[in-house]
Amino acid sequence: MASAPPPRYNSHSLENESIKRTSQDGINQDLSEAVPRLPGETRITDKEVIYICPFNGPIKGRVYITNYRLYLRSLETDSALILDVPLGVISRIEKMGGATSRGENSYGLDITCKDMRNLRFALKQEGHSRRDMFEILTKYAFPLAHSLPLFAFLNEEKFNVDGWMVYNPVEEYRRQGLPNHYWRISFINKCYELCDTYPALLVVPYRASDDDLRRVATFRSRNRIPVLSWIHPENKTVIVRCSQPLVGMSGKRNKDDEKYLDVIRETNRQISKLTIYDARPNVNAVANKATGGGYESDDAYHNAELFFLDIHNIHVMRESLKKVKDIVYPNVEESHWLSSLESTHWLEHIKLVLTGAIQVADKVSSGKSSVLVHCSDGWDRTAQLTALAMLMLDSYYRTIEGFEILVQKEWISFGHKFASRIGHGDKNHADADRSPIFLQFIDCVWQMSKQFPTAFEFNEQFLITILDHLYSCRFGTFLYNCESVRERQKVTERTVSLWSLINSNKEKFKNPFYTKEINRILYPVASMRHLELWVNYYIRWNPRIKQQQPNPVEQRYMELLALRDEYIKRLEELQISNSAKISDPPTSPSSPSQLMPHVPTHF
Amino acid sequence: MFSLRPPRPSFRSYLLPPPQTDDKISSEPKIKKLEPVLLPGEIVVNEVNFVRKCIATDTSQYDLWGKLICSNFKISFITEDPMPFQKFHYKNLLLGEHDVPLTCIDQIVTVNDHKRKQKVLGPNQKLKFNPTELIIYCKDFRIVRFRFDESGPESAKKVCLAIAHYSQPTDLQLLFAFEYVGKKYHNSANNINGVPSRGGGAGGSSSQTTPLFETYSDWDREIKRTGASGWRVCSINEGYMISTCLPEYFVVPSSLADQDLKIFSHSFVGRRMPLWCWSHSNGSALVRMALIKDVLQQRKIDQRICNAIIKSHPLRSDVYKSDLDKVFPNIQEVQAAFVKLKQLCINETFEETEEKWLSSLENTRWLEYVRTFLKHSAELVCILESKHLSVILQEEEGRDLSCCVASLIQVMLDPYFRTTTGFQSLIQKEWVMAGYQFLDRCNHLKRSEKESPLFLLFLDAVWQLLDQYPTAFEFSETYLAILYDSTRISLFGTFLFNCPHQRVKQSTEFAISRNIQLGDEKGLKFPSVWDWSLQFTAKDCALFHNPLYIGKSTPCVQNISVRSFKRTKKSYSSTLRGIPSSLKNGIFVDQELLPRRNSLIIKLKPDTSQQVESQNSGVEQYFRDWFSKPADLHGILLPRLSGAHIKLWKLCYFRWVPEVQINRGGFITAIHRASLLADEVNMLSRMLRQQRSPLPACCSDPDQSRMYFQASSLQTTSGIPEFLSSSFPFSPVGNLCRRSISGTPLSKFLSGAKIWLSTETLANED
Repeated sequence: MASAPPPRYNSHSLENESIKRTSQDGINQDLSEAVPRLPGETRITDKEVIYICPFNGPIKGRVYITNYRLYLRSLETDSALILDVPLGVISRIEKMGGATSRGENSYGLDITCKDMRNLRFALKQEGHSRRDMFEILTKYAFPLAHSLPLFAFLNEEKFNVDGWMVYNPVEEYRRQGLPNHYWRISFINKCYELCDTYPALLVVPYRASDDDLRRVATFRSRNRIPVLSWIHPENKTVIVRCSQPLVGMSGKRNKDDEKYLDVIRETNRQISKLTIYDARPNVNAVANKATGGGYESDDAYHNAELFFLDIHNIHVMRESLKKVKDIVYPNVEESHWLSSLESTHWLEHIKLVLTGAIQVADKVSSGKSSVLVHCSDGWDRTAQLTALAMLMLDSYYRTIEGFEILVQKEWISFGHKFASRIGHGDKNHADADRSPIFLQFIDCVWQMSKQFPTAFEFNEQFLITILDHLYSCRFGTFLYNCESVRERQKVTERTVSLWSLINSNKEKFKNPFYTKEINRILYPVASMRHLELWVNYYIRWNPRIKQQQPNPVEQRYMELLALRDEYIKRLEELQISNSAKISDPPTSPSSPSQLMPHVPTHF
Repeated sequence: MFSLRPPRPSFRSYLLPPPQTDDKISSEPKIKKLEPVLLPGEIVVNEVNFVRKCIATDTSQYDLWGKLICSNFKISFITEDPMPFQKFHYKNLLLGEHDVPLTCIDQIVTVNDHKRKQKVLGPNQKLKFNPTELIIYCKDFRIVRFRFDESGPESAKKVCLAIAHYSQPTDLQLLFAFEYVGKKYHNSANNINGVPSRGGGAGGSSSQTTPLFETYSDWDREIKRTGASGWRVCSINEGYMISTCLPEYFVVPSSLADQDLKIFSHSFVGRRMPLWCWSHSNGSALVRMALIKDVLQQRKIDQRICNAIIKSHPLRSDVYKSDLDKVFPNIQEVQAAFVKLKQLCINETFEETEEKWLSSLENTRWLEYVRTFLKHSAELVCILESKHLSVILQEEEGRDLSCCVASLIQVMLDPYFRTTTGFQSLIQKEWVMAGYQFLDRCNHLKRSEKESPLFLLFLDAVWQLLDQYPTAFEFSETYLAILYDSTRISLFGTFLFNCPHQRVKQSTEFAISRNIQLGDEKGLKFPSVWDWSLQFTAKDCALFHNPLYIGKSTPCVQNISVRSFKRTKKSYSSTLRGIPSSLKNGIFVDQELLPRRNSLIIKLKPDTSQQVESQNSGVEQYFRDWFSKPADLHGILLPRLSGAHIKLWKLCYFRWVPEVQINRGGFITAIHRASLLADEVNMLSRMLRQQRSPLPACCSDPDQSRMYFQASSLQTTSGIPEFLSSSFPFSPVGNLCRRSISGTPLSKFLSGAKIWLSTETLANED
């Protein structure tokens, strides 16, 4: 065994102030005392188990299960191992070994998690400890199947800021300079009658009447009509998003849709064509005709240019991420790392998404052409493309608050199906609707932040925290598929927002190198030569792989900042005492920052 | 054929800068002003006018007009046209921005695109066509292209042949360094001081000089610095009496008498007897030696050597022998990997290589080799550090792989070697003085089949450590890249010879042939590469400094509540260190327990005996323990070795590739911020000192100019400066012109991979 204690694993950074320190019930008062507990979190059971750690071997420990988490503390004196896993992260629970299984630690539970790891526990064959644990875990990890609420509805955490206030669509559109001469804010979808997966508030061309919109809706898959996502502050070109047109095998046309796109084109007088980016590969777009979908043909849309961006569908992405897990967990493929990584195609997909977003951004900014983006339904690839293009074009979205608004707007309000893609509280782990589309988007953001280390106000921890709570079900932020359902469930009233947690502790998520640059467009280099696997996320459970934390570069910079503040303070003190002694104010500047430019330098 | 007709000599070249008089429109007087900047001893051997230097790969509209000259030192393109798109270029004082030193040329290709002919030019070759284009493939990964559409066909041909001839000299003494130094000696005939002999300032900023390990005292100081009590400097090789490939002074176990060493030396390949490299504070020593070729004596000598090393250990610990030839790829394999890497990074078209980039990169095996060197070095670190055993690096000649492994071990173990001066002294000690064959491995004479980029591999491995521990090194990755480039400038004695004796012998011959009085000097003194002021201004030398470095003298924030930084004090002193403390368990070892001759597996004393497997698991355990604790930047550094951690050194290999450049991005933008802040902190601390004890202004602090980006300059105010890019301080503009005929990548035209291979394969195509 290791003479030194193995590293502590903490799946979560749990804020001390939110940990409930009192335990109501309990046999092991002293031990359960230290089990972190959120307000509203209740302890269900605890068991003695052997945690089969893939890195350090079997470790005897006690596992505590609450309605929110699985918490394990090692019972071995030389090991300080702690596991703290929100139940929301669990994708699948399997029993391993039977009553007759022989061999050490062959009887127990194998838990597959959504965050790139598996947990194995060995239990005693006698008694019903495994059955108990299995049933309790199943019940609380998959509450929907047991008519139980998601933990977010039980969470009683209080924060000093309300994350639900972060995104106000009217304010965000006003920030973009909307409404204006060409674009209006429409309340046609106030009761989600036009489109049940769109937000209540939409920005549409001024010249399109509500009746026009209703007619266009009939020709767009799931009524997801083209609406504005972003407008360029100077050249007034726009990014518009929607779903595919319902062209079908017969090649149907719709005059209203054609006219509507022309109206969008005309809102910007600088160019004669509207650019349509269909996120799908060409063949997929064609294949969609069989199910009534399709794409805008040249004949029907004279004033539009269509490009396919070759991004694959949710099933391809899911399988790709599975392959990534295969090569990184529990052991990192050693001998042929690069070719194994290549065979997952994960980075290739990242490249295609980024390349697509760069094209959108470039068209809007340099091509001075308005852009319409869609895929099939317009809630997966479309969200990736519009959100990334907006992140490249608009420096506001690179701040902590701006990014929260971006996620809230392009993903949550426009109906990315978080519930289906993640499978919150649902036990059907093999559901074909699940796919890591949002993770892929965050990965793209991380790739950008790697290439531009000074351009983002937030750090890597911010992105990882978002992903952790994408699964945790502690916050209401990523629950449900669309705004209408969220409203029905009164999510903003009954749950806490993830942004409350983040914004009440912003310092922790700040990138010290951030340099505010307004109006700077950020084009990452979408080349395999620069794209990297996000080791600190995908391989973070492996203590041998995990990189230095905190990031030594950030840490050194923080040190220097502290040093600077200390010197300035001391200088000020000295100057005060000096000027008290010698009354010579004209030659001694009042603040060191004024002094600095006068210091002679070597050159 | 070019689809775009080349423009007539552009107006630009005559109008910019503005001509003095109107009648000077004719090109003649202007062109004559395009004079090369020559160094002492440098002469122009050939030149051609009206040459176009290609800038972009796919268009000629940005091409520059000027004169191409070939001197005995460099190819120089002289132009008055401003460089398009270029926002920044660091200036090398020895070379203009369009210049290529002759020793940096890898391959010369002449093309006639009307006749669709091309030829790789070797020395003394004929050229049956008039070239319309000259493509220079450089060892520093650049590809430079010149077009002769408007120049005199004969003079163009002559220049090409001259370049081919002068870049592939028949003799070492024809390398420019000799001419240069000879001139210096002549010029300073009256001047007693002559050429400075010591290594220059570290990074141009510190007054510290780099120990060159040419003298007895440098070695003696190193013994004292590391506290190696059982070791002494040996001078039996003074005047290279014993071995011509060993330094004059080296360090041996104190218990071995000169007389014995002399006898033993005959049994070693190249008479290269064991050389001490370094000692750990626990007394374990790192030693390198060649194979014992004398089979009869092998066992006896091996035992005597091992015994002596054991005796020199304060704990009388055993030795661990590592047979490097069995662990590592040989130099040809390393060279093959490098050729593939270069082909992939530079020569193949960008888009075509994107799809299979990762597997292609893996197939070069370059990263695998970098990893192997780091891994084995780290394992030996464990043996020295935690097993308290001395380590012998054994290699046939002991002057290739040993250089790399010995250096890496010391960089990992001793923080002194992570300072600029320390690192430079390490290269002197383990490469230059230990007889790494720079002449052959760099292939300065283009004749050698022994070319191999082991030194680059070492720099790459150090870069991996710097990448993983960005605050642990005093120098920057720019420093490492420029150091690699400096091996390609045939002016410094440092990287010119196969061993110190070769310098003495060759330069003495040269001196005699030129009537240079050497006095009591041993050969000519060549400039040292460590005298960075020869190449860069003090301001540019600040590029070498890592603003994130946490040195021992770096101010700590210990008293500040914000964040306390753990920094233990048990580090190696850069000056002197006491004799290791514990001798308490020092037990003499019985003779019969010594390792057998050439044994790969160490035999340990009974009380610590373990099997090989447990030895390995011991290493595993050591790594695991080390990584479970926060790294001590002033202690040992171990590399992370997984595939995900060993990366491609992009600055070095991609710096000229325009497609890879991230504008106003890359890690340099964070470095830029850190540099500004560190400069501000320095300035504040100076002000504090001045406030406390006002001193005259002239008495400035040596740290004053350490930061390249300074808080006081104007760039502070407006975000990320335009000129920063992931290639900074290098610029891809005009340095990587891949395309040639009608947009077909030249590599295809010249049948792919062969282009970087030996000249013979392509020679006769005219």
